[in-house]
Amino acid sequence: MHLFIQACILGLLTGGVYALMASGLTLAFGIMRVINVAQGALIILGAYASYILFTHFQIDPFVGVLVIAPAMFVLGVALQLAFLRVLRDQEREELSLLVTWAIALGIEGILSYAYNTTYRSTNTSYANRAWDVGGYLFPEVRVFAFALSIGIIVLLWIALTRTRFGRSVRATVQNPVSARLLGVDAARVSAIGFGLSAATAAAAGAVFGIVFSFNPGSHYDLISRLLTIIVLGGLGSLGGAVIAALFMGTSEAVFQVEISPTWAPLTFFILLIAILLVRPQGLFGVAARGAA
Amino acid sequence: MSKRTFKGGLLLLALAAIATVAAATAGASARRAGAGPIKIGISLSFSGDFSDPGKAAKRGYLLWQSVVNSHGGLLGRQVQLKIVDDASSPNQVVTNYQNLINRDHVDLVFGPFSTLLTAPAARMANRYGYAFVEPSGGGPAVFQEKLPNVFFAQPAPVINCGDPFAKWLLSLPKSQRPKTAAYPSLDDPFSSPIADRMRGQFEAAGIKTVYKTIYPPETTDLTPIVEKVASKHPDMVVGGTQSVDAYAQVKAMAQLKFNPKFLFLSNGASSPTEFPDKVGKGNTTGIFSCGDWFPNSNAPGNKQFIAAYLKKYGGNAFGIDSGSAEAYAVGQIVQAVAKRTGSIDNKTIIRTLHSGTWPTVEGNLSWDKYGSPRGSDLLVEWIGGKLLPVYPPSVALHKPVYPKPAWKG
Repeated sequence: MHLFIQACILGLLTGGVYALMASGLTLAFGIMRVINVAQGALIILGAYASYILFTHFQIDPFVGVLVIAPAMFVLGVALQLAFLRVLRDQEREELSLLVTWAIALGIEGILSYAYNTTYRSTNTSYANRAWDVGGYLFPEVRVFAFALSIGIIVLLWIALTRTRFGRSVRATVQNPVSARLLGVDAARVSAIGFGLSAATAAAAGAVFGIVFSFNPGSHYDLISRLLTIIVLGGLGSLGGAVIAALFMGTSEAVFQVEISPTWAPLTFFILLIAILLVRPQGLFGVAARGAA
Repeated sequence: MSKRTFKGGLLLLALAAIATVAAATAGASARRAGAGPIKIGISLSFSGDFSDPGKAAKRGYLLWQSVVNSHGGLLGRQVQLKIVDDASSPNQVVTNYQNLINRDHVDLVFGPFSTLLTAPAARMANRYGYAFVEPSGGGPAVFQEKLPNVFFAQPAPVINCGDPFAKWLLSLPKSQRPKTAAYPSLDDPFSSPIADRMRGQFEAAGIKTVYKTIYPPETTDLTPIVEKVASKHPDMVVGGTQSVDAYAQVKAMAQLKFNPKFLFLSNGASSPTEFPDKVGKGNTTGIFSCGDWFPNSNAPGNKQFIAAYLKKYGGNAFGIDSGSAEAYAVGQIVQAVAKRTGSIDNKTIIRTLHSGTWPTVEGNLSWDKYGSPRGSDLLVEWIGGKLLPVYPPSVALHKPVYPKPAWKG
C-alpha cells in the first residue's frame, strides 16, 4: 500500500507539470481552432532559455519564468501574426497542423545548431532534495513545479472567466461571427491567446528543464503526450486538460510500479480509448467554434 | 531522330566511356604507383542523433591526420581525409561510402559512429573489398554480419561492458559481496543485454535477483520505477542504461533517498563531463561504469595523443571525449599495418589485422575473424568527482570504493 500511495504522489506531481504544458495547447485550440504541434518545441525552447539564465546568470528557474514568459508571449504573438493569422477559416485546423509543425522543426533546427544534441538539465541546488512526510517522499523540485503549474493555471482560469479579455475569448470561442458583430476584435484575441499559450510553454519549459533532461529533439515525445492529454480532457477545455494530465501522470506511475514500465503507456492508452468510446468529446469536451 | 544524329550520339557515348575508363585506369595506376596523397574517406554524423559523438570522432580523425602528416605522412605520403555528413541516417551512410569509393576513389575508408550506421556501411565496404576499421560499431549487429573486413577499434564488444565489474565484485570475499540485486534496464540493444549478461553471472554466483524490469525508451520519468526498485531493498543495482535514463535513475535515487551499496550503470555514467553536470558532482561518488579509454592510461601513444589533442583543441585531459580517442585509434591501427607491411593495400590490411596484437591508445587490440575484439573494458568508478579506472589492478589508478557513499543531495 505504501508503494501505491507513493506512486500516486509522484504521479500527481508529475501530472501537474503536464497540466501546465497542456494548458497552452488546449487554449490555442479553444480560441483559434489551431492544433499547435509546436507547443512541445516551444516548451523545449523555454527549457533552454531557463537553462541559459540559470547557467550563465545564476537566475533560479522559478524566478527566470518572470523573464522568459513575457519574452515567449511576444514570440507567440509574432508567430501568430506571421504564420497563423493568414490561415483561412475553413481549412484552419488542417493547415495549422502543417504550419505549426514547420515552426516546431524550425525551433528544433535552431536549437540543434546552437546547442547540438547534448542533453541538458537545469541542475538547481534543490534538484535532488525531498521532503519526508510521514514516510512518504515529496521531491522538492516537483512540489515547486506542481505549485507553479497550479498557480499559472488558476491565473489563466481567472483571466478567462473574470476579465474583459476572457469574455472576448469565450465569445469568440462560442460564436466568432456574433462576437465580431458585438465589437470583439477576434484577430487581437487570437494573437493574445497564442501569446498566452507560448507564455505557458515558457513556464512549463522552465519546470520541465529541472525535472527532466532535454535536448532539441525532446519535443517529439512531449507533443504526443500533450495531444493525448487534451484529447482525453476534451479539446479546448482547460479544466479537462488539468484532470486528464493528473490522470495520466497518476495512472502511468501506478501502472509502472504495479504492472510493468513496458505496459504502463499501453495500459493508459487502453483506458483512453475506453473513455473516448463512451465520451468521444473527451472528459470535459466542449463544442469548439472557430475564430478568425 | 535522324540516322546521323543517332550515330553522333553513339560516338559521343563511346568517347565518354573510353575517357571514363582511361581516367579510372589512370587514377588506379596513380594510386598503385603511390603518387600523391593517401585519400581516406569517412562518413560521420554532424546532424541528427549522433551529431555529438560524430563531432568527437571527427576531432580524433583530424588529430591523427595532423600528427601523422607532421611525422612525414603514411609511407611517405601525406594523408588527406574526406569527411562527409550522414545526418545519422543508415541510408545516407551507405550512399556516402558508395560515393567515397566509386566517385572519389579513396584509397581507404574509416568507420562512422554507432552500430546502427556501422553495420550497413561495413557491408558496403566489404562488397568493394575495403578494410573497415571502425571506432564505435561495437554492438552485436555489426559482428552478426560476419564480415571479414571489420575491425572494431575498442578493447571489447559493447555487450561485455559489465564483465570487469562482475569479475571484480566476484573477487571480493563472500561476506563483502551483495546478497541481492535489482536490474532496471532500458529497452535498447546496447543496454538491457549488458544487464542480462551480468545478471546471469551474478545469479550463478548466488546473488539473488529481487527485481528486474525493462523500461521503454520514451519513459521520461523513472521515479516510480526507482521507487519500485527501492521497495525491494537490493544491495546492488545494475542498470543497463544509455545516457538520459542513467541521469534520471540517479536523480530519482537521490530524491527517494535510496542508496544501494553497489551501483553500476553501463552507459551515461561513463561520460566524464556530462554525468556530473546532469546529476550533480556530489552525487557521482561510488558509481561504477565501464570504459574503453581514460586520460591517464599508459596505452601506446596515449600521452602523445593527449598532448596533441590539448594543443589542437585546448581544454583538459579529463574533458576529452573517448570518441576522439577511439577515432584516433583507427588511424593508429592502419599506421601500424603500413609500418609493419610497407603497404596500405586493403587486402593486406585485412589479412594482416587478423593476426597479432595492435598497439593503440585503446590498448593492445586483437580481433576474432569477424572483427570482435578479444580484450576487456576497464572498470571505472567516480571517486572524488573524477572518473577513475579501478580494475583490473594493472591499470587501476585507485582502489574501488565500496560500499557506495551516501548521496550528497
